[in-house]
Amino acid sequence: MWFLSPLFWLGIAAVAAPILVHLVRRTRARKVEFPALTFVRQVPQRTIRRRTLRNLLLLILRCLAILLIVIAFTRPFFSRRSAAKDSGSAGATVVLIDSSLSMRREQMFAAAVQRAGTIIDEARNDERLALIGFGKRYEVISRFTADKARLHATLKSLAVSWEGTDYEQALRGAESLFGELKTAGPRRIVLISDFQASGWNQAKATFKLSSDIQLQTFDVGGNNPAANVAVTRVDAHGLVFGQKYLENLSVQVGNFGDTPRDRLAIDFQINDQTVEKREVSLNASETKVVEFTGFNLTEGANRCVVEVGSGDFPADNKFYFTIRRDAPAKALIVESASRGRSDSFYLQSALSLNDALPFSFTVKSAGGVDPSGVAENSLVILNDAGPLSGALSESLKKFVEAGGQLIVSAGPHTDANSFNEPLRTILPVSLGDAVQTKPGEGLALTNIKFDHPIFEIFRESGRLAAARVFGYLRSDAKSNANVLARFEDGSPALVEANAGKGRVLLFTSSLGPSWNDLALTPLYLPFVHQMIRYAGSREEGSWYGLGQTFRVAKESKGDPPAVDSPDGVRLTENRLTPDGDLLITGRQPGFYRLRYPQHPDFAAVDLDAAEGDFTKLDFGAFMTGVTGGSGNVEGREANRQFSNEEIENRQKVWWPLLFLALLLLITESLLAQRIKLAKVVG
Amino acid sequence: MWWNRKTTTAIKDQPASGVPNAPGPARFLDPEVLARIGSLELLARAVVEGFMSGLHRSPFTGFSTEFTEYRQYNPGDDLRYLDWRLLARTDRYFIKKYRADTNTQCHILIDTSASMRYSQAGRISKLQYAKFLAASLAYLLNRQQDAVGIVAFDQHIHTHVPARSRTGHMRTIFGQLSLLEAGGETRLAESLHELAELLTRRGIVVLISDFYDQTDRLQSAFQHLRFRGHDLMAFQVLDKNEIDFDFDDPILLLEDSETNEQMPVLPDVVMGGYRARMREHIDGMRTCAAANRVDYELITTDQPLDHALFSFLSRRVGK
Repeated sequence: MWFLSPLFWLGIAAVAAPILVHLVRRTRARKVEFPALTFVRQVPQRTIRRRTLRNLLLLILRCLAILLIVIAFTRPFFSRRSAAKDSGSAGATVVLIDSSLSMRREQMFAAAVQRAGTIIDEARNDERLALIGFGKRYEVISRFTADKARLHATLKSLAVSWEGTDYEQALRGAESLFGELKTAGPRRIVLISDFQASGWNQAKATFKLSSDIQLQTFDVGGNNPAANVAVTRVDAHGLVFGQKYLENLSVQVGNFGDTPRDRLAIDFQINDQTVEKREVSLNASETKVVEFTGFNLTEGANRCVVEVGSGDFPADNKFYFTIRRDAPAKALIVESASRGRSDSFYLQSALSLNDALPFSFTVKSAGGVDPSGVAENSLVILNDAGPLSGALSESLKKFVEAGGQLIVSAGPHTDANSFNEPLRTILPVSLGDAVQTKPGEGLALTNIKFDHPIFEIFRESGRLAAARVFGYLRSDAKSNANVLARFEDGSPALVEANAGKGRVLLFTSSLGPSWNDLALTPLYLPFVHQMIRYAGSREEGSWYGLGQTFRVAKESKGDPPAVDSPDGVRLTENRLTPDGDLLITGRQPGFYRLRYPQHPDFAAVDLDAAEGDFTKLDFGAFMTGVTGGSGNVEGREANRQFSNEEIENRQKVWWPLLFLALLLLITESLLAQRIKLAKVVG
Repeated sequence: MWWNRKTTTAIKDQPASGVPNAPGPARFLDPEVLARIGSLELLARAVVEGFMSGLHRSPFTGFSTEFTEYRQYNPGDDLRYLDWRLLARTDRYFIKKYRADTNTQCHILIDTSASMRYSQAGRISKLQYAKFLAASLAYLLNRQQDAVGIVAFDQHIHTHVPARSRTGHMRTIFGQLSLLEAGGETRLAESLHELAELLTRRGIVVLISDFYDQTDRLQSAFQHLRFRGHDLMAFQVLDKNEIDFDFDDPILLLEDSETNEQMPVLPDVVMGGYRARMREHIDGMRTCAAANRVDYELITTDQPLDHALFSFLSRRVGK
């Protein structure tokens, strides 16, 4: 047994107090001459003996209670430290130092580095140590060496990062590092961290340490989870085509603490100018969404920041994102040359209702389209276009293969043969005969892939099944095609396929009222808009997570732009894609400046939201998980080491000791009271 | 209840006569006050005079000759009691009968064994109380022209003052009483047997002791005295603490007054059992006395002396 505060053993002198009182009172027995001793003698002596025993029991109880209290104050614990430390070969140790974002709290990182320094100092001279710093990923900052001076020097170079925490990765790294060793001996991993719950996912944990490796942990995070409020997520469109942002920009604000927070200020800034301010109150462990809309955006990239006015841990109070305002691309709608109302009337009406669509549309008949001008568009919609000329078909093929988007919808004027052969290489299906249902009967859409971007907005309502289809082109999906929806008879309804660099989306029924009543239902508008957005493929993320790699497109000249980190340092990374784009990994929260000569751009990088939750790890589950024990905690304990404070903190032997002392004192009190009562009653 | 346990658990033995420890003259009979009087003669006088003056009309006029009735003369009757006047008037012979026309002889027996030395702090010892009581009784009897003698004993009789009715005899008695010291063992029964043989003339025997002897042994001694024709009265004098066994100390080392044997005792533990046994002893004494027609009175040393005097006189009425 070991003691954290052995100085309290001095308190053992207090045990002498009841003994002294007992002895003093014994010696003070007064001698009294008494004539009727014969009657006293007749009183059963066992009563006196019992009383004497009771008094002795009282003395023992008092002494024991004081002894237990003293022992409790010395904070005892049972150590299972391996004898290997004091005997045998020195072995090797990997010191894992948590350098994640949460270690920026108070002086935690400094304490971790100091602890690592102490471990280096206390290591045997022939013991080899390696140092690893870790967050989401790990970095070996020093491989195995017994040179303490070198280890200290390396340790000084370790800096705290902005990353989240992943204990599993760190332990994997440490274990793999042992593979470099060619000598046998005890192997030990020392894990110094604040032990955040978010750093280890028990449900997904698969890694287990080798049984010959001892794990020693040092918790520098304290016991109380710190209060923290953070902006955890922003949902915004990274690319818009109008001056006003018309949709809802939602901001998630989370309170990770155990106490409610009232009237927190939310400040929304665009290009360093405050656009709007809000206030939000959060209960303990509550997350709320604050929405902003209707704000103006300038042309090009806009740097947006949402900041919550919370006094605690400021690192995660800001959330960075960008919104780019671009001019819409050109799109061409090709229809059949028919008299009367244009067959694209419903389609045009639907597209004209949304300014936020990434295209400006031009409608032409199939005969009126200049094949050479097709390439100027980004999107072409063949809306029941009728027979296509060979030149147009050829230009459409080239258009798609070069990266253009093509949407094809069938209809009464669609000639399957004029599509199948000329566009064979790009169409996802081979079209067949037209199918007409009986009057009054219609087919519904089934087998809809609601996880597809086009249909995901219909996931909750499921109302797409309400539309009735009366006619369509029979079709057979090709092997590379993705059937997104079918009719009730199993025939493909909406099919997509990539072709070259482009993509083709084919709806085997009409986008007008010819073959279905879709255009007459409220489903039509969102369905068409989703298809256009999907085909537009210009949706951009508004921010990147820390550690995420993003692409910086090359300039028109062919070279990628220079990139500055949020703290203004020019990056020297030169990882390029085959197309010559630059790949940058975000290592710092804030805006990365992409120095295009004509139009400077920005990429926003944000922290891992889970890192703001300082809830403590379930230590027992963690140990069980990483050591692969069979659930027998005691059995696993033998395989690893903890600091004395941790062992004592986990065992909490002082608790039962104090409880036992309390019980003894209560028993003593009851016994004493009983004796006193017996005296009174006589 | 525990807060008044002393009043409920202590053995009660209030005066049978009902005379209270009243203020007034009785105040002067308080043993604590009397202990300040050096002379036993003065003490006895103070007690008896104070006691008498406290009674508005004393029913106890003494044993003087008193006419009771006439009866026919029989040959052999003492001619001194013949009513000559009646003979002259009626020519008939009648004898006048008188009551208590003889002087009573009273012996006061005092136990001086070592156990009589006991006194709780601040109080007078049992022997002192016994001496006060004996002196007062002797004075009272002498004042009524009765012959009084004293006998003191422990395991043997060591002091004997024969009964006399002279006034000067009292000085001898007081002198002897003042010389009495406690010591020696208690062999009460043997001493009483010895006394029964010593006191040949019938009379009143007043026995003052703590009666720490077995009651069956005492019974034979009482019978012996009664057989000799003595009218026996027993005063059991005890210290109040001998009855209550009330000590504040958590532990005591008790030493037997006579054998010097020592015994560690936890008073609060022993108290209950002790009181029960003492109660048994007193009840046994009372039963034993009643069985042998012995007037028995339990007196504690904190009680005024008038209680004992009242008890004595009330029991003498009609005898």
